[in-house]
Amino acid sequence: MILISLILILLAVFGAPLFAVIASSAMVGFLREDTDLMNMALEVLSIADLPFLAAIPLFTFAGYVLSESNAPKRLVRLTGAMLGWMPGGLAIVCLAACAFFTAFTGASGVTIIALGAILYPALAHDGYPEKFNLGLVTSSGSLGLLFAPSLPLILYGVVAEVSIDDLFLAGILPGMVMLVMLSGWCLWVNRANRKPLSSFSFRELGGAMREAIWELPLPVVVLGGIYSGFFAVSEAAAITALYVLIVEVLIMREIRITDLPRIIRASMVLVGGILLILGVSLASTNYMIGAGIPQQLFDVVASLVSSQATFLVLLLVFLLILGAILDIFSAIVLVVPLILPIAAGYDVNPVHLGIVFLAAMQLGYLTPPVGLNLFIASYRFEKPIMHVYSATFPFLIILMLSVILITFWPGLSLWLVADG
Amino acid sequence: MKNLLSRLERLGRIAEDTALVILLCGMIVLAVGQIVLREIFATGFVWADELVKLLVLWLAMVGSIAASRDNRHIRIDALSHVLPDKAIVATRILVDLFAAFVCGVIAWHAFRYQQLEIEFGDTVLINTPAWLAHVIVPVAFTLVSYRFVVLVAWQLYSLASGDDRRPAE
Repeated sequence: MILISLILILLAVFGAPLFAVIASSAMVGFLREDTDLMNMALEVLSIADLPFLAAIPLFTFAGYVLSESNAPKRLVRLTGAMLGWMPGGLAIVCLAACAFFTAFTGASGVTIIALGAILYPALAHDGYPEKFNLGLVTSSGSLGLLFAPSLPLILYGVVAEVSIDDLFLAGILPGMVMLVMLSGWCLWVNRANRKPLSSFSFRELGGAMREAIWELPLPVVVLGGIYSGFFAVSEAAAITALYVLIVEVLIMREIRITDLPRIIRASMVLVGGILLILGVSLASTNYMIGAGIPQQLFDVVASLVSSQATFLVLLLVFLLILGAILDIFSAIVLVVPLILPIAAGYDVNPVHLGIVFLAAMQLGYLTPPVGLNLFIASYRFEKPIMHVYSATFPFLIILMLSVILITFWPGLSLWLVADG
Repeated sequence: MKNLLSRLERLGRIAEDTALVILLCGMIVLAVGQIVLREIFATGFVWADELVKLLVLWLAMVGSIAASRDNRHIRIDALSHVLPDKAIVATRILVDLFAAFVCGVIAWHAFRYQQLEIEFGDTVLINTPAWLAHVIVPVAFTLVSYRFVVLVAWQLYSLASGDDRRPAE
């Protein structure tokens, strides 16, 4: 059994598609328990039994459409008009706009490409040092993961069977803490060059709002609808998809109808990859729960760790390593079912656990050697990867501090959750 | 022969794109329609929610097929940044053969499960035969398995001929 696990891990490390590795581990487990492998089909079919899952293809599609239109440009202009008067204006604008865009496009890696392309040259033009800009844009690309309606939050809710509405509420303050700490760092670094982007002008704000008039209702309807409980998250996703389609294709005409099949394909390739891993992970999770593996894991951990605080330290270290190896979606479907019962044993609230999990995994986007954002930035801005590592490093440290804060201060996540 | 293959490739891509467009647009219309019916007319179709969930399954499966064609399945990508090119291709051949095998096994057992569903006359969506709604699972895993075989063939070819043109991405 150990030999088989070792072979599977080797296959994964050498680049076997993750779904195939997970599926085979589940099937090996089924065979050992004399379970018919037909169960594999049953587990994959149970994708169609999970609630709210429609939100994932719908939000991903909407995000891809938005990133191909001129919406990112309008978003940057509007954020500039609202926040550009602050000292260190453009850096703050960059953080806020990226967080917003990431949340709305579900953290599918499009932020760096869509917004970075606008912000990176703008920052340089405003006299910020090149290395700072690179680090800022790279680390902003995964900011906003904790804000509704990001896909990782939704997926965590589905997998952990936790209320998605609660998660959306719980993510607000920790997400703000990350934003504020990074903003503070940006101001400190550029204390010699702390100039506002422009002075505040109602005329510019009005112009920017008029330009974005069609997109402005979107966050209001979606966030208002979700937070007020008027829409389920999958319904909000459907409305977003339809609205974005009408606005960008029919009204603004920035995306041609003939481009739609290409955009749909690109977004659904991502969705297919994620949901396929979800489907086979359901099988491996079921096998592992049947075989009592979470209980065994808990016994091992319990023999090592007695207090909640030590457990959280251990969890954080584990998640940081995990985040450097696995992408956030695979990590959620694969690991959450295993650590959920263990965390419950230490009285960690599942909503708080979700926020900690995602916050730590967000760091994984930036952790050398394999963080995804590092490679996207290196590729997009044509910089050597080592240079991106060192440019991002200070931001990584700040984010690490914020994750530690979020982990050991559960109140931050749970304060807004009504009956947390 | 080669002509036939490239024709097949093109047709396959068009079929995937068409299916994805229909499935996604269908899902949007159905989900929004359901909200409109509920909020304005205080009514709705009992089968609509189940159909949306089945559409998620179909989108996931067709998306997986498309992901295999574009070679975009999620992998741990760490080693490909440090290994020499030839070594990458060699390991990729190995792991992709493994993936093809795994998908083949799943496809076979999904097919067996279909036979069972037909035999028992299971239904979904009030009275639609369940196997019809679920047929995408064995079909998808068969096609994904086939894609990995094609990928392996390509990589073998590029290793042998030294021509490292990737299959169309």
